[in-house]
Amino acid sequence: MPMNKGPKDRSAKCTVRRSVHLAALVSALATTGVVVLAQSEPVDPRVEGLTFLGEPVLASQVMAGQQLYADNCASCHGASLEGQPDWRRRLDTGRMPAPPHDDSGHTWHHSDRMLFQITKGGVGAVVPGYESDMPAFGEDLTDAEIAAILVYIKSTWPERQREFQAEVSANDTGG
Amino acid sequence: MKSIEIGCRPNRRKVLAAVLGSGLATVLPRLVQAAVDGDPAALAFDGDTILLADRGLFVSDDAGQTWTAAETLGNVLSLATHRDRPGRVVAGLAEGGVSISEDGGASWRIFEARLPDGEITAVAIASRNPDMIYASLRGDGLWKSEDAGATWSLAMDRPWLDDAERELLSLASVELETGMGGIWIYAGTEVGLTRVPDCFCRWQDVQPGNAMDALVAGEAPPSEAPLPGGEPILSLASAPSAPEVMYAALRSGLWASQDGGVIWQKRASKAATAVAVHPRDETYIAALLGGILKISRDGGATWIETGER
Ligand code: HEC
Repeated sequence: MPMNKGPKDRSAKCTVRRSVHLAALVSALATTGVVVLAQSEPVDPRVEGLTFLGEPVLASQVMAGQQLYADNCASCHGASLEGQPDWRRRLDTGRMPAPPHDDSGHTWHHSDRMLFQITKGGVGAVVPGYESDMPAFGEDLTDAEIAAILVYIKSTWPERQREFQAEVSANDTGG
Repeated sequence: MKSIEIGCRPNRRKVLAAVLGSGLATVLPRLVQAAVDGDPAALAFDGDTILLADRGLFVSDDAGQTWTAAETLGNVLSLATHRDRPGRVVAGLAEGGVSISEDGGASWRIFEARLPDGEITAVAIASRNPDMIYASLRGDGLWKSEDAGATWSLAMDRPWLDDAERELLSLASVELETGMGGIWIYAGTEVGLTRVPDCFCRWQDVQPGNAMDALVAGEAPPSEAPLPGGEPILSLASAPSAPEVMYAALRSGLWASQDGGVIWQKRASKAATAVAVHPRDETYIAALLGGILKISRDGGATWIETGER
């Protein structure tokens, strides 16, 4: 079962004040490659072309998600979402390494709902009985925090992967 | 359903035709024995043409009545064809490498950028893309080529079943949606059936589509009748005309599924080593049963005896 405990540093909070300056936002977003809708208001803009579970994504979510990703996921999935080395090869334990979350991996083949379930409940939540090193974060992260991490990951994908994943999500009718 | 009358037993000679005399009987016992032992053999339909790799490659244009031997670039262990690309035949070689024919097996090539050395135990062509070829390398894993064999990359390590990594003995691209923007690749291993979505996220058991919903709802899991456990699955086929119709060749016999591999029923009790299904008729199958090629036109309910016995 999961060996990692999840987040230790709960001080890295996910809420970004509305008072944040647009300049700061834009520079932060530049690092994630997010395109921001032109807005005159210096408040939480929507991220163009990105939704999560059908809802629009706000720039503050992406920023919060970036920090939460660094704190909770980067140790295995890589600081630049690059995954563990040689991630297609099984470990000696018989389990698979952590795959990349960028476009070189397969994360973008999964619907929003499935990504959420995997992060909250581990891979066993979508493939019954499956053994893996991916921890279940349901105890350590709130639903909003999990969503923020996933929108951050999604925000890094090129257009093709985003569109593919949007379609997979739209077709995901399961419940 | 009416079965066609054939007598088929490919032999080493160029053409068998109607020669079902005593000469043939002398070569039979050795062949039969080899096949029963699970000696690698492979079958494929290229349109109406049947290809049989059983220590040599044999081609029949008349549903197995007569056979012509074809030259190959090595010892063919596995075969794959595609309904939308008549003439294309992919052959996995015992000596390593995947050779490709574009003329129904008459001529072959192997590209420069070869796979790593090692026996190619199984090959498949992606149902939705005749240029996407999968090959399993013994002791290594599942490789893919997106350009009809010109270049190859590792797609996925071997599956982990019953506490060990397992060889992929058979592969089938099954045109059933995964819900992940693609379709499934089924694989037969030394110990049973497994499958991976064609995004290659993870090997997993074959489960009824609504298994997860039932689990979440706390309901009884949907019924399943898997293939017998612990038995090598030597050959697998999914019908292009009805992908949920699948066939599997095991020592315990020839098995069939009507629901993408959740519920299996035995259709022949002789040890089966190879099976293939016609591209346009999911009930038309060819199989090596007890080392003898037999044909069924009704999904395996009845088989055409070949008469040599
Ligand atoms: C202890 C190491 C570890 C940590 C920390 C970790 N993961 Fe994973 N994760 C894995 C491994 C290993 C897999 C592959 C599991 C498998 O398929 O066997 C995985 C798989 C996944 C997948 C499935 C990807 C796919 O395409 O199938 C998602 C989504 C995921 N992780 C999200 C996260 C998120 C989000 C976090 C942070 C909240 C996180 N992981 C933290 C190890 C980790």
